Amino acid sequence: MPNNNHSNHTGAPEAVGYWSQVGSSPERLGFWMTLPTVLLLLFIVVFPAIMQVYLSITMWSPLDGTPWYLAYQNFDFPGQYWRALLDEELWNALGRTLLIMVVTIPIQFALGMGLATLFVDEFPGKKVFYSILLTPMMIVPAVTGLIFYLCFQSTGPINNHLGLPVSFSWLTDTDRAMITIMVADIWQWTPLMFLILLAGMLSVPNDQILAARLLGASEVQIFRRIVLPRMKSVIIIVLALRTVESFKIFDSISVMTKGGPGVQTETISYYIYRLTFGDFEWGYVAAIGLSILIGLTVLAVQLLKLGAKPDSNK
Amino acid sequence: MKTPLSRHLVRYAFLALAVFLVCYPLVWMTTMAFKPYSEWTTVGSGLSWMPRKPTLQNFEFLFYGRAEGLYVTLDKTIFQPFWASLVTSTVGTLIAVVSGTLASYAVVRFKVGASLPLQVLQLRLFPPLAVMIPVMVMWAFLGAVDTWWGLSLMYGIVTLPFAFWLMKTFFDEVPIEIEEAARVDGCSHWRVFWRITLPIVRPGLATCALFVFILNWSDYLLALLLTQKIWVTLPVYMATLTSAMGGQMYGMKAALGLIAAVPPVIFGLVIQKHLVRGLTFGALKQ
Repeated sequence: MPNNNHSNHTGAPEAVGYWSQVGSSPERLGFWMTLPTVLLLLFIVVFPAIMQVYLSITMWSPLDGTPWYLAYQNFDFPGQYWRALLDEELWNALGRTLLIMVVTIPIQFALGMGLATLFVDEFPGKKVFYSILLTPMMIVPAVTGLIFYLCFQSTGPINNHLGLPVSFSWLTDTDRAMITIMVADIWQWTPLMFLILLAGMLSVPNDQILAARLLGASEVQIFRRIVLPRMKSVIIIVLALRTVESFKIFDSISVMTKGGPGVQTETISYYIYRLTFGDFEWGYVAAIGLSILIGLTVLAVQLLKLGAKPDSNK
Repeated sequence: MKTPLSRHLVRYAFLALAVFLVCYPLVWMTTMAFKPYSEWTTVGSGLSWMPRKPTLQNFEFLFYGRAEGLYVTLDKTIFQPFWASLVTSTVGTLIAVVSGTLASYAVVRFKVGASLPLQVLQLRLFPPLAVMIPVMVMWAFLGAVDTWWGLSLMYGIVTLPFAFWLMKTFFDEVPIEIEEAARVDGCSHWRVFWRITLPIVRPGLATCALFVFILNWSDYLLALLLTQKIWVTLPVYMATLTSAMGGQMYGMKAALGLIAAVPPVIFGLVIQKHLVRGLTFGALKQ
Protein backbone atom coordinates (compact mmCIF):
# COMPACT_ATOMS: atom_id res chain seq x y z
CA MET A 1 0.00 0.00 0.00
CA PRO A 2 2.73 2.53 0.62
CA ASN A 3 3.20 2.91 -3.09
CA ASN A 4 3.06 6.68 -3.43
CA ASN A 5 4.39 7.98 -0.17
CA HIS A 6 7.24 9.74 -1.89
CA SER A 7 5.19 11.59 -4.45
CA ASN A 8 5.69 15.32 -4.26
CA HIS A 9 2.12 16.39 -4.77
CA THR A 10 -0.54 15.39 -2.39
CA GLY A 11 -3.50 16.44 -4.43
CA ALA A 12 -5.39 17.51 -1.37
CA PRO A 13 -7.36 20.54 -2.47
CA GLU A 14 -7.16 22.43 0.81
CA ALA A 15 -3.43 21.90 1.17
CA VAL A 16 -2.40 24.98 -0.78
CA GLY A 17 -0.14 27.71 0.50
CA TYR A 18 3.16 28.06 2.26
CA TRP A 19 2.98 25.05 4.53
CA SER A 20 2.03 22.69 1.76
CA GLN A 21 5.06 23.93 -0.14
CA VAL A 22 7.31 23.41 2.86
CA GLY A 23 5.96 19.92 3.32
CA SER A 24 6.10 19.05 -0.33
CA SER A 25 9.33 17.11 -0.11
CA PRO A 26 10.57 15.20 2.90
CA GLU A 27 14.08 16.62 2.51
CA ARG A 28 12.88 20.20 2.50
CA LEU A 29 10.51 19.68 5.42
CA GLY A 30 13.29 17.85 7.24
CA PHE A 31 15.53 20.84 6.75
CA TRP A 32 13.00 23.23 8.24
CA MET A 33 12.19 20.91 11.12
CA THR A 34 15.80 20.45 12.15
CA LEU A 35 16.56 24.13 11.68
CA PRO A 36 15.81 25.34 15.25
CA THR A 37 18.01 22.63 16.74
CA VAL A 38 20.79 23.22 14.25
CA LEU A 39 20.67 26.96 14.91
CA LEU A 40 20.79 26.44 18.67
CA LEU A 41 23.76 24.10 18.23
CA LEU A 42 25.62 26.51 15.97
CA PHE A 43 24.83 29.36 18.32
CA ILE A 44 26.21 27.60 21.39
CA VAL A 45 29.08 25.70 19.76
CA VAL A 46 30.70 27.54 16.88
CA PHE A 47 31.15 31.09 18.10
CA PRO A 48 31.87 30.20 21.75
CA ALA A 49 34.41 27.60 20.63
CA ILE A 50 36.29 30.16 18.56
CA MET A 51 36.14 32.66 21.40
CA GLN A 52 37.34 30.11 23.92
CA VAL A 53 40.39 29.24 21.83
CA TYR A 54 41.05 32.94 21.29
CA LEU A 55 40.74 33.95 24.94
CA SER A 56 42.78 30.98 26.12
CA ILE A 57 45.89 32.37 24.44
CA THR A 58 45.58 35.71 26.22
CA MET A 59 45.75 37.00 29.77
CA TRP A 60 42.44 38.77 29.33
CA SER A 61 40.26 39.66 32.29
CA PRO A 62 36.91 41.46 32.17
CA LEU A 63 38.35 43.86 34.73
CA ASP A 64 41.04 44.98 32.26
CA GLY A 65 38.74 47.58 30.85
CA THR A 66 39.31 46.29 27.32
CA PRO A 67 36.55 44.43 25.48
CA TRP A 68 37.11 40.76 24.79
CA TYR A 69 37.97 41.22 21.10
CA LEU A 70 40.96 43.36 22.05
CA ALA A 71 42.23 40.56 24.25
CA TYR A 72 45.09 39.95 21.77
CA GLN A 73 46.82 42.96 23.30
CA ASN A 74 47.57 40.69 26.23
CA PHE A 75 48.66 37.82 24.02
CA ASP A 76 50.33 35.07 25.98
CA PHE A 77 50.28 31.82 24.12
CA PRO A 78 51.79 28.95 25.89
CA GLY A 79 51.71 30.98 29.09
CA GLN A 80 48.24 30.08 30.31
CA TYR A 81 48.68 26.43 29.39
CA TRP A 82 52.02 26.22 31.15
CA ARG A 83 50.42 27.84 34.11
CA ALA A 84 47.64 25.23 34.12
CA LEU A 85 50.18 22.44 33.86
CA LEU A 86 52.08 23.75 36.87
CA ASP A 87 49.03 24.88 38.84
CA GLU A 88 49.08 22.79 41.98
CA GLU A 89 45.63 24.00 43.06
CA LEU A 90 44.18 22.85 39.76
CA TRP A 91 45.62 19.37 40.08
CA ASN A 92 44.53 19.14 43.69
CA ALA A 93 41.00 20.13 42.69
CA LEU A 94 41.08 17.52 39.94
CA GLY A 95 42.31 14.97 42.46
CA ARG A 96 39.47 15.79 44.84
CA THR A 97 36.94 15.49 42.03
CA LEU A 98 38.31 12.07 41.12
CA LEU A 99 38.31 11.07 44.79
CA ILE A 100 34.63 11.93 45.05
CA MET A 101 33.91 9.91 41.91
CA VAL A 102 35.98 6.92 43.01
CA VAL A 103 34.29 6.78 46.41
CA THR A 104 30.69 7.66 45.59
CA ILE A 105 30.09 5.88 42.30
CA PRO A 106 31.00 2.35 43.51
CA ILE A 107 28.96 2.87 46.68
CA GLN A 108 25.99 4.15 44.69
CA PHE A 109 26.38 1.23 42.32
CA ALA A 110 26.55 -1.38 45.05
CA LEU A 111 23.60 0.08 46.97
CA GLY A 112 21.59 0.54 43.77
CA MET A 113 22.26 -3.03 42.70
CA GLY A 114 21.38 -4.35 46.14
CA LEU A 115 18.12 -2.43 46.22
CA ALA A 116 17.28 -3.52 42.69
CA THR A 117 17.55 -7.20 43.63
CA LEU A 118 14.91 -6.59 46.31
CA PHE A 119 12.47 -5.35 43.67
CA VAL A 120 12.71 -8.08 41.07
CA ASP A 121 9.70 -10.09 42.21
CA GLU A 122 6.33 -8.90 43.47
CA PHE A 123 5.61 -8.18 47.11
CA PRO A 124 2.99 -6.16 48.98
CA GLY A 125 3.74 -2.45 49.05
CA LYS A 126 6.21 -2.61 46.17
CA LYS A 127 4.92 0.52 44.44
CA VAL A 128 4.98 2.62 47.59
CA PHE A 129 8.51 1.60 48.49
CA TYR A 130 9.61 2.21 44.92
CA SER A 131 8.24 5.74 44.91
CA ILE A 132 9.72 6.59 48.29
CA LEU A 133 13.15 5.30 47.35
CA LEU A 134 13.19 7.37 44.16
CA THR A 135 12.45 10.65 45.94
CA PRO A 136 16.03 11.86 46.60
CA MET A 137 16.71 11.89 42.87
CA MET A 138 13.87 14.40 42.36
CA ILE A 139 15.14 16.85 44.95
CA VAL A 140 16.79 19.94 43.48
CA PRO A 141 20.54 19.32 44.00
CA ALA A 142 21.02 22.70 45.66
CA VAL A 143 18.22 21.79 48.07
CA THR A 144 19.94 18.48 48.77
CA GLY A 145 22.96 20.56 49.70
CA LEU A 146 20.77 22.59 52.03
CA ILE A 147 19.21 19.49 53.59
CA PHE A 148 22.58 18.02 54.47
CA TYR A 149 23.85 21.43 55.49
CA LEU A 150 21.07 21.43 58.07
CA CYS A 151 21.63 17.82 59.13
CA PHE A 152 25.41 18.13 59.51
CA GLN A 153 25.33 21.28 61.62
CA SER A 154 27.18 20.61 64.83
CA THR A 155 23.92 21.52 66.58
CA GLY A 156 21.97 19.33 64.16
CA PRO A 157 20.33 15.93 64.39
CA ILE A 158 23.27 13.79 63.30
CA ASN A 159 25.55 14.89 66.10
CA ASN A 160 22.68 14.53 68.51
CA HIS A 161 21.81 11.00 67.39
CA LEU A 162 25.41 9.86 67.33
CA GLY A 163 25.92 11.32 70.78
CA LEU A 164 28.63 13.69 69.59
CA PRO A 165 29.29 16.97 71.37
CA VAL A 166 28.45 20.31 69.76
CA SER A 167 32.17 20.97 69.42
CA PHE A 168 32.37 18.09 66.92
CA SER A 169 31.90 19.80 63.57
CA TRP A 170 31.44 18.27 60.14
CA LEU A 171 31.16 21.01 57.56
CA THR A 172 34.00 23.14 58.85
CA ASP A 173 36.38 20.31 59.67
CA THR A 174 39.31 19.73 57.31
CA ASP A 175 38.93 15.96 57.27
CA ARG A 176 35.21 15.51 57.62
CA ALA A 177 33.87 18.18 55.25
CA MET A 178 34.55 15.92 52.28
CA ILE A 179 32.57 13.12 53.93
CA THR A 180 29.48 15.33 54.12
CA ILE A 181 29.75 16.12 50.40
CA MET A 182 30.04 12.44 49.57
CA VAL A 183 27.15 11.46 51.83
CA ALA A 184 24.91 14.04 50.14
CA ASP A 185 25.96 12.81 46.70
CA ILE A 186 25.38 9.16 47.59
CA TRP A 187 21.99 9.98 49.09
CA GLN A 188 20.92 11.88 46.01
CA TRP A 189 22.12 9.59 43.25
CA THR A 190 21.82 6.04 44.60
CA PRO A 191 18.14 6.13 43.51
CA LEU A 192 19.23 6.79 39.94
CA MET A 193 21.48 3.74 39.97
CA PHE A 194 18.68 1.73 41.55
CA LEU A 195 16.10 2.89 39.00
CA ILE A 196 18.18 2.14 35.94
CA LEU A 197 19.74 -1.09 37.22
CA LEU A 198 16.30 -2.38 38.17
CA ALA A 199 15.02 -1.66 34.66
CA GLY A 200 17.99 -3.58 33.30
CA MET A 201 17.47 -6.45 35.70
CA LEU A 202 13.80 -6.76 34.77
CA SER A 203 14.69 -7.00 31.11
CA VAL A 204 16.53 -10.28 31.70
CA PRO A 205 14.25 -13.06 30.40
CA ASN A 206 12.60 -14.81 33.30
CA ASP A 207 12.46 -18.26 31.70
CA GLN A 208 16.24 -18.56 31.69
CA ILE A 209 16.38 -17.80 35.37
CA LEU A 210 13.62 -20.33 36.09
CA ALA A 211 15.37 -22.95 34.00
CA ALA A 212 18.65 -22.39 35.82
CA ARG A 213 16.86 -22.59 39.15
CA LEU A 214 15.23 -25.88 38.16
CA LEU A 215 18.63 -27.25 37.23
CA GLY A 216 19.78 -26.48 40.73
CA ALA A 217 21.76 -23.30 40.28
CA SER A 218 22.09 -21.18 43.39
CA GLU A 219 20.83 -17.59 43.45
CA VAL A 220 24.39 -16.30 43.49
CA GLN A 221 25.26 -18.42 40.46
CA ILE A 222 22.15 -17.25 38.62
CA PHE A 223 23.05 -13.66 39.34
CA ARG A 224 26.68 -14.03 38.26
CA ARG A 225 26.19 -16.25 35.23
CA ILE A 226 22.85 -15.12 33.78
CA VAL A 227 21.73 -11.75 35.14
CA LEU A 228 25.03 -9.91 35.28
CA PRO A 229 26.24 -10.68 31.73
CA ARG A 230 22.90 -9.59 30.33
CA MET A 231 23.03 -6.34 32.25
CA LYS A 232 26.41 -5.43 30.83
CA SER A 233 25.22 -2.64 28.54
CA VAL A 234 22.91 -1.22 31.22
CA ILE A 235 25.79 -1.18 33.68
CA ILE A 236 27.99 0.60 31.16
CA ILE A 237 25.26 3.19 30.50
CA VAL A 238 24.59 3.90 34.16
CA LEU A 239 28.27 4.13 35.06
CA ALA A 240 28.95 6.42 32.10
CA LEU A 241 26.03 8.66 33.10
CA ARG A 242 27.17 8.96 36.68
CA THR A 243 30.80 9.48 35.70
CA VAL A 244 29.93 12.35 33.38
CA GLU A 245 27.56 14.00 35.86
CA SER A 246 29.74 13.36 38.89
CA PHE A 247 32.68 15.12 37.26
CA LYS A 248 30.53 18.26 37.12
CA ILE A 249 29.73 18.25 40.85
CA PHE A 250 29.14 21.80 42.03
CA ASP A 251 25.69 22.62 43.42
CA SER A 252 25.81 20.76 46.70
CA ILE A 253 29.36 21.95 47.41
CA SER A 254 28.42 25.54 46.70
CA VAL A 255 25.57 25.33 49.20
CA MET A 256 27.23 23.18 51.87
CA THR A 257 30.86 24.19 52.19
CA LYS A 258 31.69 26.68 49.41
CA GLY A 259 34.78 24.60 48.73
CA GLY A 260 35.97 24.99 52.27
CA PRO A 261 37.24 24.80 54.85
CA GLY A 262 40.16 26.33 53.01
CA VAL A 263 40.11 24.39 49.76
CA GLN A 264 39.33 21.01 51.32
CA THR A 265 36.20 20.38 49.26
CA GLU A 266 37.15 22.38 46.20
CA THR A 267 36.42 20.34 43.08
CA ILE A 268 37.41 21.18 39.54
CA SER A 269 34.12 23.01 38.91
CA TYR A 270 34.37 24.94 42.13
CA TYR A 271 37.98 25.91 41.48
CA ILE A 272 37.02 27.26 38.06
CA TYR A 273 34.12 29.11 39.65
CA ARG A 274 36.50 30.71 42.15
CA LEU A 275 38.91 31.73 39.39
CA THR A 276 36.03 33.15 37.36
CA PHE A 277 34.34 35.25 40.01
CA GLY A 278 37.02 35.55 42.66
CA ASP A 279 40.05 36.38 40.55
CA PHE A 280 38.36 37.20 37.22
CA GLU A 281 41.18 35.53 35.27
CA TRP A 282 38.99 34.67 32.32
CA GLY A 283 41.83 34.03 29.88
CA TYR A 284 43.26 31.45 32.23
CA VAL A 285 39.83 29.91 32.87
CA ALA A 286 39.32 29.61 29.10
CA ALA A 287 42.63 27.73 28.85
CA ILE A 288 41.70 25.37 31.69
CA GLY A 289 38.25 24.83 30.21
CA LEU A 290 39.66 24.05 26.79
CA SER A 291 42.15 21.58 28.26
CA ILE A 292 39.32 19.82 30.10
CA LEU A 293 37.26 19.79 26.91
CA ILE A 294 40.06 18.17 24.93
CA GLY A 295 40.84 15.72 27.70
CA LEU A 296 37.22 14.62 28.06
CA THR A 297 36.74 14.29 24.30
CA VAL A 298 39.82 12.06 23.95
CA LEU A 299 38.62 9.99 26.91
CA ALA A 300 35.08 9.70 25.54
CA VAL A 301 36.33 8.60 22.11
CA GLN A 302 38.58 5.97 23.68
CA LEU A 303 35.72 4.69 25.83
CA LEU A 304 33.36 4.59 22.86
CA LYS A 305 35.91 2.47 20.97
CA LEU A 306 36.18 0.20 23.98
CA GLY A 307 32.42 0.06 24.40
CA ALA A 308 31.87 -0.72 20.72
CA LYS A 309 33.65 -4.06 21.03
CA PRO A 310 31.36 -5.96 23.42
CA ASP A 311 28.35 -4.63 21.53
CA SER A 312 29.49 -5.99 18.18
CA ASN A 313 29.38 -9.62 19.21
CA LYS A 314 26.01 -9.29 20.88
CA MET B 1 13.21 -25.03 48.55
CA LYS B 2 12.19 -21.42 48.79
CA THR B 3 11.21 -19.97 52.10
CA PRO B 4 9.00 -17.06 51.15
CA LEU B 5 8.34 -15.80 54.67
CA SER B 6 11.96 -15.43 55.73
CA ARG B 7 12.79 -13.91 52.35
CA HIS B 8 10.06 -11.37 52.78
CA LEU B 9 11.26 -10.54 56.27
CA VAL B 10 14.82 -9.96 55.08
CA ARG B 11 13.51 -7.82 52.25
CA TYR B 12 11.35 -5.68 54.50
CA ALA B 13 14.21 -5.26 56.96
CA PHE B 14 16.43 -3.89 54.20
CA LEU B 15 13.62 -1.75 52.81
CA ALA B 16 12.88 -0.30 56.22
CA LEU B 17 16.52 0.68 56.57
CA ALA B 18 16.55 2.24 53.08
CA VAL B 19 13.35 4.17 53.71
CA PHE B 20 14.76 5.41 57.00
CA LEU B 21 17.93 6.67 55.31
CA VAL B 22 15.95 8.34 52.54
CA CYS B 23 13.47 10.00 54.87
CA TYR B 24 15.78 11.06 57.69
CA PRO B 25 17.15 14.20 55.98
CA LEU B 26 13.89 14.94 54.19
CA VAL B 27 11.84 14.83 57.37
CA TRP B 28 14.40 16.97 59.17
CA MET B 29 14.07 19.73 56.57
CA THR B 30 10.30 19.45 56.37
CA THR B 31 9.69 19.72 60.09
CA MET B 32 12.38 22.38 60.43
CA ALA B 33 10.31 24.57 58.13
CA PHE B 34 7.56 24.59 60.78
CA LYS B 35 9.76 25.08 63.81
CA PRO B 36 10.10 28.36 65.68
CA TYR B 37 13.51 29.92 66.26
CA SER B 38 14.01 28.30 69.66
CA GLU B 39 13.84 24.80 68.17
CA TRP B 40 16.21 25.26 65.23
CA THR B 41 19.17 23.77 67.05
CA THR B 42 19.52 20.96 69.54
CA VAL B 43 21.28 23.24 71.98
CA GLY B 44 19.32 23.84 75.14
CA SER B 45 15.97 22.46 74.10
CA GLY B 46 17.34 19.14 72.92
CA LEU B 47 16.33 17.41 69.72
CA SER B 48 12.81 16.72 68.59
CA TRP B 49 11.64 15.52 65.23
CA MET B 50 8.27 17.19 65.34
CA PRO B 51 8.01 20.89 66.10
CA ARG B 52 6.86 21.34 69.69
CA LYS B 53 5.20 24.63 68.88
CA PRO B 54 4.43 24.44 65.15
CA THR B 55 4.52 27.80 63.45
CA LEU B 56 4.13 29.32 60.01
CA GLN B 57 6.49 32.10 60.99
CA ASN B 58 9.20 30.90 58.58
CA PHE B 59 6.87 31.02 55.60
CA GLU B 60 5.48 34.33 56.76
CA PHE B 61 9.00 35.70 56.81
CA LEU B 62 9.63 34.55 53.25
CA PHE B 63 6.35 35.96 51.98
CA TYR B 64 6.28 39.32 53.76
CA GLY B 65 9.95 39.92 54.47
CA ARG B 66 9.36 40.06 58.20
CA ALA B 67 7.62 38.04 60.84
CA GLU B 68 6.34 38.66 64.31
CA GLY B 69 8.93 38.34 67.00
CA LEU B 70 11.85 38.52 64.60
CA TYR B 71 14.09 41.54 64.58
CA VAL B 72 15.56 40.84 61.13
CA THR B 73 13.88 41.72 57.86
CA LEU B 74 14.32 40.50 54.33
CA ASP B 75 14.85 42.96 51.49
CA LYS B 76 13.64 40.54 48.84
CA THR B 77 10.68 38.24 49.34
CA ILE B 78 10.21 34.86 47.74
CA PHE B 79 7.78 35.97 45.04
CA GLN B 80 10.21 37.32 42.45
CA PRO B 81 12.59 34.30 42.65
CA PHE B 82 9.63 31.95 42.44
CA TRP B 83 8.32 33.81 39.42
CA ALA B 84 11.81 33.80 37.87
CA SER B 85 12.13 30.04 38.35
CA LEU B 86 8.69 29.46 36.91
CA VAL B 87 9.14 31.70 33.85
CA THR B 88 12.66 30.60 32.91
CA SER B 89 11.95 26.91 33.47
CA THR B 90 8.75 27.08 31.43
CA VAL B 91 10.18 29.04 28.51
CA GLY B 92 13.34 26.92 28.56
CA THR B 93 11.17 23.81 28.44
CA LEU B 94 9.22 25.21 25.49
CA ILE B 95 12.41 25.95 23.54
CA ALA B 96 13.88 22.51 24.22
CA VAL B 97 10.69 20.53 23.60
CA VAL B 98 9.63 22.36 20.44
CA SER B 99 13.02 22.24 18.74
CA GLY B 100 13.76 18.74 20.04
CA THR B 101 10.41 17.38 18.87
CA LEU B 102 10.65 18.85 15.38
CA ALA B 103 14.25 17.78 14.87
CA SER B 104 13.86 14.27 16.24
CA TYR B 105 10.83 13.64 14.02
CA ALA B 106 12.77 14.79 10.98
CA VAL B 107 15.70 12.57 11.92
CA VAL B 108 13.48 9.55 12.53
CA ARG B 109 11.23 9.89 9.47
CA PHE B 110 13.10 11.83 6.83
CA LYS B 111 16.59 10.48 7.57
CA VAL B 112 18.06 13.96 7.54
CA GLY B 113 20.86 15.08 9.84
CA ALA B 114 22.38 11.68 10.52
CA SER B 115 25.05 13.15 12.79
CA LEU B 116 22.61 15.36 14.66
CA PRO B 117 21.79 12.95 17.53
CA LEU B 118 25.42 12.62 18.61
CA GLN B 119 26.12 16.31 18.15
CA VAL B 120 23.18 17.12 20.38
CA LEU B 121 24.32 14.60 22.97
CA GLN B 122 27.72 16.25 23.09
CA LEU B 123 26.10 19.20 24.85
CA ARG B 124 25.78 17.09 27.98
CA LEU B 125 29.35 15.83 28.13
CA PHE B 126 31.24 18.87 29.31
CA PRO B 127 31.12 20.53 32.71
CA PRO B 128 29.27 23.82 32.14
CA LEU B 129 31.93 25.75 34.00
CA ALA B 130 34.62 24.67 31.54
CA VAL B 131 32.79 26.32 28.65
CA MET B 132 31.04 29.21 30.35
CA ILE B 133 33.54 32.01 29.78
CA PRO B 134 32.62 32.61 26.12
CA VAL B 135 28.96 32.10 26.94
CA MET B 136 29.08 34.78 29.61
CA VAL B 137 30.92 37.16 27.30
CA MET B 138 28.35 36.48 24.61
CA TRP B 139 25.42 36.90 26.98
CA ALA B 140 26.86 40.20 28.17
CA PHE B 141 27.31 41.31 24.56
CA LEU B 142 23.70 40.43 23.72
CA GLY B 143 22.42 42.11 26.87
CA ALA B 144 21.04 38.75 27.95
CA VAL B 145 22.55 38.67 31.42
CA ASP B 146 19.91 38.84 34.14
CA THR B 147 17.01 38.69 31.71
CA TRP B 148 14.28 36.07 31.61
CA TRP B 149 14.97 35.25 27.97
CA GLY B 150 18.72 34.95 28.42
CA LEU B 151 18.40 32.30 31.11
CA SER B 152 15.50 30.60 29.30
CA LEU B 153 17.55 30.33 26.13
CA MET B 154 20.40 28.71 28.05
CA TYR B 155 17.97 26.30 29.71
CA GLY B 156 16.50 25.45 26.32
CA ILE B 157 19.96 24.65 24.98
CA VAL B 158 21.23 22.50 27.85
CA THR B 159 18.05 20.43 28.07
CA LEU B 160 17.68 20.06 24.31
CA PRO B 161 19.59 16.73 24.32
CA PHE B 162 17.09 15.20 26.72
CA ALA B 163 14.10 16.50 24.76
CA PHE B 164 15.56 15.39 21.45
CA TRP B 165 16.46 11.87 22.53
CA LEU B 166 13.31 11.31 24.54
CA MET B 167 11.03 12.39 21.69
CA LYS B 168 13.11 10.31 19.28
CA THR B 169 12.28 7.16 21.21
CA PHE B 170 8.58 8.05 21.19
CA PHE B 171 8.58 8.68 17.43
CA ASP B 172 10.48 5.44 16.87
CA GLU B 173 7.53 3.61 18.37
CA VAL B 174 4.91 5.08 16.04
CA PRO B 175 4.24 2.47 13.34
CA ILE B 176 5.11 3.88 9.94
CA GLU B 177 2.03 2.18 8.44
CA ILE B 178 -0.26 4.72 10.08
CA GLU B 179 1.61 7.59 8.50
CA GLU B 180 1.72 5.86 5.14
CA ALA B 181 -2.03 5.35 5.23
CA ALA B 182 -2.50 9.06 5.80
CA ARG B 183 -0.12 9.83 2.96
CA VAL B 184 -2.16 7.67 0.65
CA ASP B 185 -5.23 9.61 1.71
CA GLY B 186 -3.51 12.74 0.47
CA CYS B 187 -1.98 14.35 3.52
CA SER B 188 1.21 16.37 3.12
CA HIS B 189 4.20 15.34 5.17
CA TRP B 190 3.67 18.27 7.53
CA ARG B 191 0.00 17.45 7.98
CA VAL B 192 0.85 13.83 8.70
CA PHE B 193 3.20 14.99 11.43
CA TRP B 194 0.86 17.64 12.82
CA ARG B 195 -2.45 15.84 12.59
CA ILE B 196 -1.54 12.16 12.89
CA THR B 197 1.78 11.54 14.58
CA LEU B 198 1.86 14.35 17.09
CA PRO B 199 -1.54 13.43 18.61
CA ILE B 200 -0.35 9.83 18.88
CA VAL B 201 2.76 10.80 20.85
CA ARG B 202 0.92 13.36 22.98
CA PRO B 203 1.47 11.39 26.23
CA GLY B 204 5.15 11.17 25.34
CA LEU B 205 5.22 14.89 24.66
CA ALA B 206 3.72 15.62 28.07
CA THR B 207 6.24 13.30 29.74
CA CYS B 208 9.07 14.97 27.90
CA ALA B 209 7.89 18.45 28.88
CA LEU B 210 7.60 17.53 32.56
CA PHE B 211 10.97 15.81 32.53
CA VAL B 212 12.69 18.80 30.95
CA PHE B 213 10.86 21.14 33.31
CA ILE B 214 12.23 19.22 36.30
CA LEU B 215 15.75 19.57 34.93
CA ASN B 216 15.36 23.30 34.37
CA TRP B 217 13.75 23.87 37.73
CA SER B 218 16.61 21.97 39.40
CA ASP B 219 19.31 24.13 37.87
CA TYR B 220 21.49 26.16 40.18
CA LEU B 221 24.76 26.78 38.38
CA LEU B 222 23.47 28.45 35.21
CA ALA B 223 21.24 30.82 37.13
CA LEU B 224 24.18 31.62 39.37
CA LEU B 225 26.29 32.53 36.34
CA LEU B 226 23.74 34.26 34.15
CA THR B 227 21.60 36.24 36.59
CA GLN B 228 22.46 38.94 39.07
CA LYS B 229 19.45 40.48 40.78
CA ILE B 230 16.08 40.48 39.10
CA TRP B 231 15.93 37.02 37.59
CA VAL B 232 17.70 35.13 40.36
CA THR B 233 15.93 31.76 40.64
CA LEU B 234 14.80 29.92 43.76
CA PRO B 235 17.90 27.76 44.35
CA VAL B 236 20.26 30.73 43.99
CA TYR B 237 18.01 32.85 46.18
CA MET B 238 18.08 30.08 48.75
CA ALA B 239 21.87 29.90 48.70
CA THR B 240 22.24 33.65 49.17
CA LEU B 241 19.66 33.93 51.92
CA THR B 242 22.11 33.46 54.78
CA SER B 243 24.63 36.04 53.74
CA ALA B 244 21.89 38.56 53.08
CA MET B 245 20.70 38.34 56.65
CA GLY B 246 23.98 37.74 58.41
CA GLY B 247 22.63 34.84 60.40
CA GLN B 248 21.98 31.13 60.06
CA MET B 249 18.25 31.27 59.35
CA TYR B 250 17.72 27.51 59.34
CA GLY B 251 13.95 27.65 59.56
CA MET B 252 13.51 30.05 56.64
CA LYS B 253 15.98 28.16 54.51
CA ALA B 254 14.20 24.92 55.23
CA ALA B 255 10.85 26.49 54.31
CA LEU B 256 12.35 27.77 51.09
CA GLY B 257 13.97 24.42 50.32
CA LEU B 258 10.63 22.75 50.86
CA ILE B 259 8.89 25.11 48.43
CA ALA B 260 11.60 24.60 45.81
CA ALA B 261 11.62 20.82 46.24
CA VAL B 262 7.90 20.14 45.93
CA PRO B 263 7.19 20.73 42.19
CA PRO B 264 9.86 18.34 40.84
CA VAL B 265 8.88 15.63 43.33
CA ILE B 266 5.25 15.79 42.20
CA PHE B 267 6.13 15.90 38.50
CA GLY B 268 8.59 13.08 39.05
CA LEU B 269 5.85 10.90 40.50
CA VAL B 270 3.63 11.71 37.52
CA ILE B 271 6.20 10.61 34.97
CA GLN B 272 7.74 7.83 37.06
CA LYS B 273 7.03 5.26 34.37
CA HIS B 274 9.22 7.06 31.85
CA LEU B 275 12.07 8.17 34.09
CA VAL B 276 14.44 5.45 32.93
CA ARG B 277 13.88 6.35 29.32
CA GLY B 278 14.46 10.03 29.99
CA LEU B 279 17.54 9.63 32.11
CA THR B 280 19.29 7.24 29.75
CA PHE B 281 18.47 9.32 26.67
CA GLY B 282 16.15 6.58 25.51
CA ALA B 283 18.84 3.90 25.57
CA LEU B 284 16.75 1.92 28.01
CA LYS B 285 13.02 1.55 28.49
CA GLN B 286 11.02 0.39 31.43
